[in-house]
Amino acid sequence: MMTGNSVETHNLTVIYNKKPAIWNIDFTLPAGKIIGVMGPNGSGKSTLLKAIMGIIEPNIGYAKIFDKDLDDVRERVSYVPQRQSVDWDFPASVWDVVAMGRYARKGMLKRLSAEDKSIIEESLEKVNMTAFAQRQISQLSGGQQQRVFLARALAQQADIYFMDEPFVGVDAATEEAIINLLKSMRDQGKTLIVVHHDLHTAQDYFEWMVLLNTRLVRVGPVEDVFNQETLTETYGGTLTTLSKVASLLQEKSFPMRHK
Amino acid sequence: MTFIREIISFFTFSEPNVKVVFLGSLILCAISGLVGTFTFLRKRSLIGDVISHAVLPGIALAFIIGHQKNVLYLIIGATITGWISTYLVEYITRHSKIKSDTAIALILSVFFGIGVLLLTHIQHTGAGSQSGLDQFIFGRASAMNQSDIVLFGSVGIVILVLTLIFFRGFSILSFDEGYANAIGFPIAWLKLILSIITVITVAMGVQAVGVVLMSALLITPAAAARFWTNKIHILAILAVLFASISGIIGSAVSYTYNGMPTGPWIVVIVSLLAFLSAIIGSKTGILKSWNLRRRNNVKILKENTIKLFYALNSEQPDNSGFQFSEIAENARMENTTLRSGLKLLRKEGWLIGNDRQGYQTTEEGKREARAIVRKHRLWELYISKYMHLQPDHVHDDAEGIEHVITPEIERELEEQLDFPKLDPHNSEIPY
Ligand SMILES: Nc1ncnc2c1ncn2[C@@H]1O[C@H](COP(=O)(O)OP(=O)(O)OP(=O)(O)O)[C@@H](O)[C@H]1O
Ligand SMILES: [Mg+2]
Repeated sequence: MMTGNSVETHNLTVIYNKKPAIWNIDFTLPAGKIIGVMGPNGSGKSTLLKAIMGIIEPNIGYAKIFDKDLDDVRERVSYVPQRQSVDWDFPASVWDVVAMGRYARKGMLKRLSAEDKSIIEESLEKVNMTAFAQRQISQLSGGQQQRVFLARALAQQADIYFMDEPFVGVDAATEEAIINLLKSMRDQGKTLIVVHHDLHTAQDYFEWMVLLNTRLVRVGPVEDVFNQETLTETYGGTLTTLSKVASLLQEKSFPMRHK
Repeated sequence: MTFIREIISFFTFSEPNVKVVFLGSLILCAISGLVGTFTFLRKRSLIGDVISHAVLPGIALAFIIGHQKNVLYLIIGATITGWISTYLVEYITRHSKIKSDTAIALILSVFFGIGVLLLTHIQHTGAGSQSGLDQFIFGRASAMNQSDIVLFGSVGIVILVLTLIFFRGFSILSFDEGYANAIGFPIAWLKLILSIITVITVAMGVQAVGVVLMSALLITPAAAARFWTNKIHILAILAVLFASISGIIGSAVSYTYNGMPTGPWIVVIVSLLAFLSAIIGSKTGILKSWNLRRRNNVKILKENTIKLFYALNSEQPDNSGFQFSEIAENARMENTTLRSGLKLLRKEGWLIGNDRQGYQTTEEGKREARAIVRKHRLWELYISKYMHLQPDHVHDDAEGIEHVITPEIERELEEQLDFPKLDPHNSEIPY
């Protein structure tokens, strides 16, 4: 089992166009768990993942993964982007996309070895997409696209996986297959950080949870943080003031506090 | 005849200058096709347009400063202003509320306007016309000379090598920038290299096609190639091929009609290739879908015709031949259509006979007739059961669906319905 911290953030803040998307996020997450990230649309979930992985440069603050700087652990970090973030009309086959997972280790120049190829095949097998290996990605259903992205992440053989809404647009059977896959990965000591929308399944899927609405609302084990009160806080009511303030910052061009 | 002689003289390089024009257009177009592949895949055609217009002031300035036409200076000048323009577009979209299309339109017109202004100035001072600076608007490949070709060739090779080295990086960058970043590809560098390559390609390419049409030369070859392949490597190769063909033909035509600008011809030809690709391209071609539709129509006609014999046979099992009028009586189609249907079935061996002797189904024909009726009735039963449709509403639906049911689906239907004996109208389902 993996112990210790997986992710640690300090004052993590990202500002788009003078409007904060995430604001002073400060938390420590355990390793070897399935951790949900929840919050309403536009609450900064995707931004949070991207900032932790260094895909976007935070304006303030920093993040560490396994107590190290991102650049020192990059090989151990894997990412499943939101499915809609790419153009599925791109000229590539399922195999081509999954192979990208291996390039994390191979870099831009080295050729794939026989071992890489068998890892790619295994990854396809795990998400039940072997039969589709040569299929054009434009000819996949939404659920199949999602599984291709998962296979690509699996092919990286990382220790921590950031997944942005892996259950969106998949049918119930696929969702169950995916969550079982995630649980078996967790049993092998992997850490999974999963953006999720469905409140009904959240308690079954996650052991830990990050509740987000631009600000960090709550973080902790599900049984401690997942209740009516925190959900109201995250999804409605009290925090609308916060978003009003955020919009004001943008409208009036107030500078955010720096340092 | 003189036209043909001119064309022949072009392709036999009988004049030394021809070889220069030919090689120059070939190199410039090939590079544009290659680099343009990524402009196309990253959906940056508008940026290509900005760059190609923004090189104009750079060219004019290089001319003013250098006092004569020196291709190296011109390329450097063009690269600098081209680069500034992309930088400005990016800066404006990032740091203001102006959307990128507005920023693009803004920068494009400002740079192009300044360029035209400077060009007019040069022309008024008298040096411009003899140096042929106006060629940069529409391009004139025939203005190239030997040393230009050497320069284009060397820069072209550098660009080719860079593209090959970074091909994987550029591909992933184009497909999924966030992921490329997450797996540690140096995307800031990749983007920088790609945009430098693009600017230099445009700066050189305007010599052949001019600033107005340069972005078309960048995008169209890849767009045409996309109709033929789903593989990115082949896409790049085809784009280079299409661009090269256009370059060769375009410069040949412009050479033949002395003084005609090269750019429009090259672009006309590459657009023609794109148009043809859209029609006959193997992947998305219209021809392919025509073919498919024709094949479907044949299948539907055959199945509808043989189905007529199922009814006829069950009414008169030992009939030695049905007359055309008998067959036509129950057919819901034109007589001419029915005739071609009968002809198809005879060719297929499902039917023997003719108008005089009457028509009779073969064993194979009987089997096919049962098969299509079975599919029809299974489907009727399936939708009346699972979609709760009234039995009198299911026939029309089944008329269409019966033709697309594959053997696998048929088996599934049989299993789900537990091998039924009767359809919703209590007719027998033949096995
Ligand atoms: N590239 C960008 N430029 C400007 N604003 C952005 C950008 N990306 C996100 N935003 C804004 O930042 C805020 C947070 O966006 P983010 O995508 O992180 O939300 P999310 O929680 O992932 O939403 P969803 O549930 O819809 O995926 C939103 O208000 C969004 O409009
Ligand atoms: Mg999101």
